[in-house]
Amino acid sequence: MKPDERSFRIMLVADGYVNPPPGGLDAVAVAAQTGWGVMQLPTDDYPPEVAGPLLAEVAEQVEEFSRHGYGFVLVGERAGLAEALAKVGVPLPDGTSPGTAAQLTEFLAARPAPGASWDTGQPGG
Amino acid sequence: MGVAFVAHCLLNQNSKVGDGAHCAGVYSPVIDVLREKGWRIEQMPCPELAFTGLNRFWAVKEQLDTAAYRRHCERLAEAVAAAISVRVTKGEDVVLVGVEGSPSMGVTITSSDPLRGGRPEWPDGTAEHISGEGIFVEEIRKALARRGIGFPRVAGETHALAGHDEASQRAGLESALEG
Repeated sequence: MKPDERSFRIMLVADGYVNPPPGGLDAVAVAAQTGWGVMQLPTDDYPPEVAGPLLAEVAEQVEEFSRHGYGFVLVGERAGLAEALAKVGVPLPDGTSPGTAAQLTEFLAARPAPGASWDTGQPGG
Repeated sequence: MGVAFVAHCLLNQNSKVGDGAHCAGVYSPVIDVLREKGWRIEQMPCPELAFTGLNRFWAVKEQLDTAAYRRHCERLAEAVAAAISVRVTKGEDVVLVGVEGSPSMGVTITSSDPLRGGRPEWPDGTAEHISGEGIFVEEIRKALARRGIGFPRVAGETHALAGHDEASQRAGLESALEG
């Protein structure tokens, strides 16, 4: 793989932080400012037969990233996520349910560097 | 306002093929327009990531168009179509924002080269972009048709196209959002 601008850091983000209510925390904006990618978790409004397959796809993609050393955090909560990740052998990442952008930024800044990077020569594994 | 189903990589450039990430994570030129216009964001899965992996080569449509990849995309498309169906049933407006030039996520422009294969070298300037949809988008169209749901309006991120221009990309997205 050739180097590009990816960060190797990904936030699993509950829908309420991707589509926040008025005055709520916009985690996508924080991700954009801090250089994290976002994987959105399905909204709680979806019935299980809709949310379940979407969660399974999230888990499968997290598995692929994790195999290659990308770093993850969880922002907010999503019922069924831990079970979906367990099916692919991936633990629930460290998480936070921040109230402000500053809290989320502080949490992200304290995360260790991901295992993957262009510097290691192992961007994809 | 409505719901924009967006290509995975628009929120997560880490999913891009190597040398393809235009920024660290969130591709703001598209996401910012959706925010400004008050559209809800729903991220679709990346069909290539889980199937061909992070170390995949750049590919044209013919290279990915296998029965197995079609089945993979069909499974993902069913999940997306089910979510779109919920939105449509509620009377919400839906748009699909893809990635122009992508063999999977192109909405009006995909990539094609029937002769490409073997050792991954080809001459610079090979014309590969053609009108058409990527494989995943085609499967979403089929999945929606099976549910009796019309295909939504579309827009695309255009970074991969020659002559990419952010203002034109924004205008195309705004046009799709306005209907």
